[in-house]
Amino acid sequence: MHIPDGFLSLTICIVMYVISMGFLFWSWKKTKNSYSSSMTPLLAVSSAFVFAAQMINFPILYGTSGHLVGGTFLSVLLGPYAAILSMTIVVIMQALFFADGGIFTFGANVFNMAIIGGLSFFLVKALTHESKSNSRFFFSVFVSSWISMVLGALACGLQIGFSPLFSAAGGIVVTVPTMVFWHVLIGFGEAIITATLLTQLKRMPSTVLSSFTSLRGGLD
Amino acid sequence: MNNYVKALVIVIVCMAILIPFASSDPDGLERVAEDLGVEETESQSGGLMPDYTVPTVKNDYGSTLIAGVIGVFLVLGAGLVLGKTLTKYEH
Repeated sequence: MHIPDGFLSLTICIVMYVISMGFLFWSWKKTKNSYSSSMTPLLAVSSAFVFAAQMINFPILYGTSGHLVGGTFLSVLLGPYAAILSMTIVVIMQALFFADGGIFTFGANVFNMAIIGGLSFFLVKALTHESKSNSRFFFSVFVSSWISMVLGALACGLQIGFSPLFSAAGGIVVTVPTMVFWHVLIGFGEAIITATLLTQLKRMPSTVLSSFTSLRGGLD
Repeated sequence: MNNYVKALVIVIVCMAILIPFASSDPDGLERVAEDLGVEETESQSGGLMPDYTVPTVKNDYGSTLIAGVIGVFLVLGAGLVLGKTLTKYEH
């Protein structure tokens, strides 16, 4: 899902930078208005986990692999806005030090993974609908993380499809369905991992993870 | 031991165990690019640890593990700095 430099036209890179910077600014304002210092260790450790998890590709089908993105995971742990900032840190480090995702394409990568992932919080919230049931929670996270993966792939398919390198090969008519196809499958990996981990964490006594805000309070 | 430190240790241990099993097949986007005959140009920045390897370490597993552990601490550090910065605005 990490778009390398060279895949996107300069125009699309700039448009995605502007959109993502807008969301980041908004997330920053929202986060600082409700931030408590007790969240810092959870934010740092969960971001580090997402970085590590993104390194481990699992095989899907016909010689294609995928990895956890973790946007929904972070959004349920940290809330949508802090999750967007947290995932952005991961994407920055990957682009700066690991040549995973480009510098010019950074705006697009932040949009596809951090912003869509962070906003999936609202879908989890709508689907759990104040229910305290663990199975309802598992289902809500499963569906939301799957959708966030597919939407990210859809956005990526549009971005590359409108860029010259891929428009020569058929454009969005080809890139969107193929990106969505692979990520419908990869999304099941994302969904199983995210729903299992979060349901296990939710079961832990509240003293273990004291800053587990959004999850404990019925996703307020 | 602090629960967060425990969690961090678990993350690193799991990473060390799972790295050999990680698939080296192309991911979804790389696969789409390959199928369409789009070549990935060498990244301008390159990065110090391209594709999660430390170029000076010859052993594949060691190279990826070291890159991974460095990455985990880079992200952890950045997360702590972000948290610290946000705390300045705490009410």
